[in-house]
Amino acid sequence: MKDRISALMDGELDDKAAGLALDALASEGEARDTWRTYHLISDALGKSRMLSDGFSERVAAALAKEPTVLAPRRRPAAEPRRWVALAAGVAAVSLVGWLGVAPQQIAVAPVAQAPLQGTQAKPAVVPLPSGTSDYLLAHQGVSPRLSLQGMAPYVRTVSEQVREPRR
Amino acid sequence: MRAGALSAAAFALATSVAQAQSPEALGWLRKMNQATQRLSYAGTFVYQSAGRTETSRITHYVDASGDIEKLEVMDGVPREIVRTRDTVRCYLPDSRVVKVDRRTERAFPGLLPERIPALARNYDISLGEPRRIAGLDCQGVVLQPKDNLRYGYRLYADRATGMLMSAVTFDANGQDVETFTFTQLNFGNVTRDMVKPRHATREWRIQNTDATPAELGGWRLANELPGFEKVTELKRRLGESRPARQMVYSDGLAAVSVFIEPLDTRRDPVRTGLATMGAIHIYTREVSNHMITVVGEAPAVSVQRIADAVEFRRPQQE
Repeated sequence: MKDRISALMDGELDDKAAGLALDALASEGEARDTWRTYHLISDALGKSRMLSDGFSERVAAALAKEPTVLAPRRRPAAEPRRWVALAAGVAAVSLVGWLGVAPQQIAVAPVAQAPLQGTQAKPAVVPLPSGTSDYLLAHQGVSPRLSLQGMAPYVRTVSEQVREPRR
Repeated sequence: MRAGALSAAAFALATSVAQAQSPEALGWLRKMNQATQRLSYAGTFVYQSAGRTETSRITHYVDASGDIEKLEVMDGVPREIVRTRDTVRCYLPDSRVVKVDRRTERAFPGLLPERIPALARNYDISLGEPRRIAGLDCQGVVLQPKDNLRYGYRLYADRATGMLMSAVTFDANGQDVETFTFTQLNFGNVTRDMVKPRHATREWRIQNTDATPAELGGWRLANELPGFEKVTELKRRLGESRPARQMVYSDGLAAVSVFIEPLDTRRDPVRTGLATMGAIHIYTREVSNHMITVVGEAPAVSVQRIADAVEFRRPQQE
């Protein structure tokens, strides 16, 4: 349950899972306590000014200078156990003791993802270019497949009613 | 689980290597090749791709002087294409346009029978399961690609004549991306009249492509795509007489065309990106003040890799 509350706070649950988690919050005393504790930690971290002004921008600038990552990468799951780990830390050490370390983890994680999204190898999806039939007609004529299949592939050439790519 | 998948892959590899040069399967490809060119036939086939289904009629006439082939699309906007030995004419009755693509033999890189064994460099070719199609007993032949740069094919040939009755293109996940299947086919009894265009085109607009083989100095691929070789270079016109260059790369079965057009003849801004139409991918980008349009019946990654590799190097001045 704690994992799910943590994920809910991070906006990582889909609609259905989020609905279930919220139902649990409405009914269970323990879940509600967890929710409050996590928010308390979150607030404490958010209000603390441990980082100098412009820290995020400077991290982003430094990352932008890094070599480009070309491999497509999924958006990393942002440490689903963050709040759980912090809660454990609160119990074991003290809230103040954690503040010196934790804000960096939280501040850096979202910034680090931004450049990755800009370098996805997946291309932009665009509608079929104007004159697609002309390209197809010109292309079909040079495809070796004609020798095997005759003109059947030309059916692709001439359709004037091609749909937009489906996504 | 992972070990299981690995050993399954290893097993598939081992068996495919053993089958890669199945002489019987190669023999069927040769038969399809010959049947397509030598038989007279008339039939109806269904084309399915990306949720689109179209029925077409195809007629092939062969006599001593050569062959003529006619394709009529029965669904939607009426269209008709007639191919003679050196010319393809595409009739669009709604817009009263004929697109004429005349070509020399040198510009037509067909799949020659002697090149069929070379397909085994890029595909594992094996016998597939038998199937009955349009009342005919057919033999399956599977071309399994050796990498993810090309699609796979399941072909079904009539056992009696070798005629290709069904062709299925499948992707790396084994999903069908495109199918052609005859629903009815008759051999013989084709007359010359049956392959004549049905339209009187005296008042129609003619768009001539004027395709001629040409050396395209300066344009090339920085990196060629593994298994794809340049098979021809053409100068041509597209649509309403736009000048264009065309470079064609092929692995022996799949082909990818690179069209190069000077930007100043185009009014539309270039939209960089990928468009998809069933098994066909089209990637557009701008290089050295030219619009590059790459069109191929190949996976998106191949079309994009070729597009990204297009470059212009100014030829050395004397």
